[in-house]
Amino acid sequence: MKINFKNIQGLFFLGLLSITVSCNEDYLDVSSKDALEQEDSETVTPEQMVNGVYGMLTDWDYAFSYLGITEIISDNADKGSSTTDSGGDKNVLDALTFTSSASSINAMWGHWYQSINRATTAIIYAENYGLTDETYKNRLVGEAEFLRALNYFWLVRSFGAVPLQHIDLVKRQPVSDVYDYIEQDLLDAIDKLPLKSEYDSEDLGRATKGAAQALLAKVYLYEEEWQKAYDMANNVMLSTQYSLHPNYEELWRASTENGVESIFEVQARGVSTAHGVQQYSQTQGARGTDGWGWGFNTPSQNLVDAFEAEGDAIRMNASIIFRGETLWDGREVFTVENDRYNEKAYSSASAGASDGDKNIRIIRYAEVLLIKAEAAVNLGLDAATPLNMVRNRVQLTSITNPTLENVWSERRLELAMEHDRWFDLVRTGQAESAMALDGKTFITGKHELFPIPNAQLIQTPDMEQNPGW
Amino acid sequence: MKNKFTFLLLVLFYCSTLLAQQIKVTGTVSDQSGNKLSGASVIVKNSIIGVQTDFDGNFTIENVPNSATLVVSYLGYFTTEQKVNGLKTINFILREDSQALDEVVVIGYGTQKRSDLTGAISSVKSDDLLKQPAINATQSIQGKLSGVSIINTNAPGSEPVVMIRGLGTAASGTTPLYIVDGIQVSGISNINPADIETMDVMKDAASAAIYGMDAANGVVFITTKKGKLGKAKLSVSSYYGATTILNQVKMANASEYITYFNEVRTSLGSTNLLSTNQAYDTDWFDELAEVGLTNSNNVSISGANDRVNYFFSLNNYNEDGILTGQNLTRNTLRSNSTYNLFDNRVKFTQNISAAISKETPKPFGAFDEAYKQAPIVPTYYDNGAFGQAEWDTSTGLVVYQGNSSLNSIGNPLSTVYYKNQKDITTDLQGSFDLEVKITDYLKANSRFGATKSYYRSRSFNDIKSQYLTLNTGQTEDDFNALKAANPSTTSYADNSLSYTTSDSYRFNWDSYLTFDKEIGEHTFNVVAGITKGSKNDIFHTYQLAYDVPEKEQYWNINFASEDYEQVSQQYFSTPTHQLSYYGRLQYNFNQKYFLQANIRRDGISTFNNDNNTDYFGNFPSFSAGWVLTKENFLSEVKNLEFLKLRLGWGELGNSNVPFNVSTYTTSTGSSSVNYVFGANQDLVYGAALGASIYPISWEITKETNVGLDFQAFNSKLSGSFNYYNRNTENAILYVTPVYTSGDQSKYYDHGAEVLNKGFEVELNWKNAISQDLSYNVGVVFSNNKNNVENVKSAYDGQTGGSLSNGQITKRLEEGQPIYAWWMWEADGVWQTQDEIDSNAHYGSPSPGYLRYKDQNEDGVIDDNDKKFFGSYIPTYNFGINLGINYKDFDLTVDAFGAGGNKVYNGLKSTRIDGGENIAYDTYANRWTGEGSTNTNPGADRDSYASSYYLENGDYVRINNITIGYTLPTVIDQISKIRVYATAKNPFLITKYSGFTPEIVGSSSSTGASGTSGIELSAYPNTKTFLFGINIDL
Repeated sequence: MKINFKNIQGLFFLGLLSITVSCNEDYLDVSSKDALEQEDSETVTPEQMVNGVYGMLTDWDYAFSYLGITEIISDNADKGSSTTDSGGDKNVLDALTFTSSASSINAMWGHWYQSINRATTAIIYAENYGLTDETYKNRLVGEAEFLRALNYFWLVRSFGAVPLQHIDLVKRQPVSDVYDYIEQDLLDAIDKLPLKSEYDSEDLGRATKGAAQALLAKVYLYEEEWQKAYDMANNVMLSTQYSLHPNYEELWRASTENGVESIFEVQARGVSTAHGVQQYSQTQGARGTDGWGWGFNTPSQNLVDAFEAEGDAIRMNASIIFRGETLWDGREVFTVENDRYNEKAYSSASAGASDGDKNIRIIRYAEVLLIKAEAAVNLGLDAATPLNMVRNRVQLTSITNPTLENVWSERRLELAMEHDRWFDLVRTGQAESAMALDGKTFITGKHELFPIPNAQLIQTPDMEQNPGW
Repeated sequence: MKNKFTFLLLVLFYCSTLLAQQIKVTGTVSDQSGNKLSGASVIVKNSIIGVQTDFDGNFTIENVPNSATLVVSYLGYFTTEQKVNGLKTINFILREDSQALDEVVVIGYGTQKRSDLTGAISSVKSDDLLKQPAINATQSIQGKLSGVSIINTNAPGSEPVVMIRGLGTAASGTTPLYIVDGIQVSGISNINPADIETMDVMKDAASAAIYGMDAANGVVFITTKKGKLGKAKLSVSSYYGATTILNQVKMANASEYITYFNEVRTSLGSTNLLSTNQAYDTDWFDELAEVGLTNSNNVSISGANDRVNYFFSLNNYNEDGILTGQNLTRNTLRSNSTYNLFDNRVKFTQNISAAISKETPKPFGAFDEAYKQAPIVPTYYDNGAFGQAEWDTSTGLVVYQGNSSLNSIGNPLSTVYYKNQKDITTDLQGSFDLEVKITDYLKANSRFGATKSYYRSRSFNDIKSQYLTLNTGQTEDDFNALKAANPSTTSYADNSLSYTTSDSYRFNWDSYLTFDKEIGEHTFNVVAGITKGSKNDIFHTYQLAYDVPEKEQYWNINFASEDYEQVSQQYFSTPTHQLSYYGRLQYNFNQKYFLQANIRRDGISTFNNDNNTDYFGNFPSFSAGWVLTKENFLSEVKNLEFLKLRLGWGELGNSNVPFNVSTYTTSTGSSSVNYVFGANQDLVYGAALGASIYPISWEITKETNVGLDFQAFNSKLSGSFNYYNRNTENAILYVTPVYTSGDQSKYYDHGAEVLNKGFEVELNWKNAISQDLSYNVGVVFSNNKNNVENVKSAYDGQTGGSLSNGQITKRLEEGQPIYAWWMWEADGVWQTQDEIDSNAHYGSPSPGYLRYKDQNEDGVIDDNDKKFFGSYIPTYNFGINLGINYKDFDLTVDAFGAGGNKVYNGLKSTRIDGGENIAYDTYANRWTGEGSTNTNPGADRDSYASSYYLENGDYVRINNITIGYTLPTVIDQISKIRVYATAKNPFLITKYSGFTPEIVGSSSSTGASGTSGIELSAYPNTKTFLFGINIDL
């Protein structure tokens, strides 16, 4: 057989031509396969976007940085862990010698703004998605508003005047404007959210009307709007959704999660696929041979003294794991490195797992009672009733004519290690004296607010720093 | 041919009548690997008498004067002389002259003679590669090419970092483009180095612009072997080697550790001290590291005639690492063949290879633990359990089930023992090229090349045994009780088993026309073509289950317990499509003036998003060469045979960033987009917006190159010099969003210029003193200066170099090298408490702690006091290569060095508990009280990143010493047997206090912002002694 070479050439050119044709430039229009493109909005529901806002609460920052700026910094807790382990900046937070470069402060600053961004995105998404069920849409918007308000509240009480994301990223808005924005979100959320009992069982843990009211009561307390705080706390009480759990010892155990006293808490599960506040129980778990964690955020002797001064053994033993103790579930905590550990961070089932089942209680009914009591003292109304409900549960005697100091002391013991102490000290003006008693120097006019993180100032040099920093 | 031969015979006959005392000399001419050289010229010195060797390399030359000298020359080989002195048989073995100007260099879609080059291209030949045996050829070229910086790692299977002319990018890919036999591949770990004929590295933009937006990091061409004209040749080679740690750091022993530990405790006010009377003094490195054995066996068959050219090879490579159980086995197969059809008008070439690697990796973190674990801790307790850092504070003794821990460091032996992973990677690679000669001066090629890779990894985690190891005194019953009390909690599962699989595919289809014509003194070569390609097309699965049977034979997910939720993940990656048009014009006038222009128009799908539909870019380049020695004014200069000046400019791109489109972040695992709801605490999926998307495009790098090539002293001296100035104008940064924006994650945006300037020198001196003795000396030197300019405001100050303890060590800032070291400056040691109290300090230091300099003198030590300390990237590196051949012996010595950089001793700096072990030097030089030292901290110290731990990265290493012996021909059938012994990396000279200043960084973060240059748990450098044999039949 004889093949004509010219034919071969012809075929070859035909081949080349066919590639050229197939090289249509549409070939470069590749679509994302491994991540959902934003233009394909049908793939993501508004509820998923709202879930994503809650998800921020499970981030690692709450398991480490947050401990530093809420408890370790205060007189309730010490850094813990090994003496030589600085925990990043936990040692300087503990000693009150931190600077604007403190990584924990930077972490929470960024984290809260991220959460706010997610919440705003979720609200816009829910409103524009085309949901026909108004109640459902409102609920989703209300949930995100609640979460946005919560994060702005944490920001404003930490940093004072902060930029409001929807106005400007650099210009710090007056504190009152920030509070106005928080109130506006919460009032709207109160309108839109259902009561705890109105949710389906599968939605347990979502923000409720009661949660928004309780948070708003707390916000008013910080604003010293006593009447509004009193009324809002009262609204929570009148809703009949909540009551005190009779046994304080069980308050932070898995068995009381989302129980009668729970108003809002971070949800977590320990079984596969486990998902909780990443490493929260691990960072605070006992350290050493019998331990299960890193041993940070250890309750201080100062806190023990406060419990003992009040004769409050129940709450002390429920809040603190002492070295040498056998825990309620039989775990022996004998050979460990530190004298005390935070029992409220302890999970019986998950122990030191990196993803544990610990639900962090953010607001519970006892605090609402104490808000009402504090507002009542200021208003000259009946503070004794709500205060003594809290005291009597732990077998402490009633106080007939409570003072502000009585309420503040009660707050410390009732809410010990619940991430509120530092802000209470600053809010009530006790910080300087309390720090002095704890051997630290609180500089008035400086330490009331955290510094704007140095990393932020590098990005936006025009942003003003807080006084003294 | 025949006529010529007859003519030569006539000449010989004629001569015979003129000369007295004449003899007939016969012999053969072959190369060093035993190939017979046909057509070599054999002449009698200072006469016109001469012949050419026949097809089998034989020659016969008559009427040679007894006192005459024969001169043998052959293109590409050293000319060799030999006195006759009455010898009737003289066999010549010619040494290859690998830097000869006539060698062919791959330039992409074609080749070029080295003497015609206008760009900067360096090459390594097969022989040089094989002198330093390695699993990956890039490990063997360190110090052989100027401008090519290679950071080696000796860990089995890990790839060295290759940096060509500095680092020009902060966030995009940093690896060069690899092209194997014309096809683009992702790396060359699947290529058997013995199959490689040449490696050509394109360094400058003028050459590399033909590869457009893939080429900004340089281009590495691999050309695999082909058969050589002649009968079939069978080659067999093997080597065996033994590997141990090079430059072992001397650690503190038990008594030194105890002293140090007690000093820490005392300083902290503790009265619980260690007793000096401990039972154990463990040398952890000694216990951990083994002698690693390597062996490689290679067989190849090759040959060619005028119709077919074939090369076939098989290789089995087996390497045991220095950790127990660490093994890598790779089998490769290659078949290359070329068929000439239709009177050589059609040429079909196929290159096919398969590589199957099996690996059982072991965690390099074990080296970290061996460094830090206390020497008083036993390897094993008497009951057989792994020793733990537990001690009894009342007796001060390390005991089983103590009441306190010395540190939180694991037992390195258990870390290695419990790591149970097995990876199998299969790479199938092939290219098919059809070349049609349309006319004598015009040909067309169409080439399809593809790689299909399969990866499967199995990981078994014995949770129960590890729990019992860590919790001394706990029994299996204790564990089972916990398991029963916490059903479906995975911490108390007996074990877990996971499988990861992925397969990936990439291809390129090139079609191009080549026009090649000489018109008088004008030579033209024009190439024009198109390419279509796809890469990053990956199918990925991951499965995780708990409680499978203990026996390995049943390690199937199907046998896992149903009590635990299984994890199953699968995704497709977003592929990258590319479409390119390219052209090249080469012109020279009389081999004297050279001009070259490239243009590539490249389109890539990566930047195809709503913001940016313009995803085509043009990459031009121009270069010129001038052979000065062809000019009258230089042609008379004595001993200068060749001198060429080169000038080039070009534009390159780097498109190696992730697909740039706005996406949602979703997850099916424990992620902060998901949450738990409901009375049953169900995991509920959520979503969030992904990173912000900016309308970015590829990085553009512009480069000017000036070069000089020369050859002098009868080709004994050759060399080249290059100066370059390259600027990545729009470097892509991975930016941390403005914190208050709340943007969820880092994003990519253009934000800086990265400048690299430098020069390169390559010098070679080769000389054959006699038939018996020849030698060569090669020197390469490269210098690079890296600088970041014009950083977009707000993008300045990105940090990196995490030590994983909250400390960072690097920062990107205008005017500094890319991600330069940035930390506090150590300023002596606090001597007294008074001194601390009266000066700026950070935290609550004690005497003996390092003192940090208050740079801005504001009385506070914070980030504003951190200072830049240069780069981790060496500013210079050099190689020295020596070769001597004496009779049948050959000796090679290669050295490599780098420096001008700093490296961070993370092993020394990152201490958590104060109970970790220290290097002997740390112990011996420590602060022990006021006035003892103002340089080194005491036993009790902090672990903040500071310049104290930053050390000079200069080093020189002898890479290779090889001595070989080629046996005289003993058996007719065997043309060559060579045996050799090699010492790989036998010496390292450095002042660095860690294991090695050559630090690639952890695999997950090798870019500039990662842990490159930080020794955290680096696999130590190793030395290897090898014995090998090569047999050619």
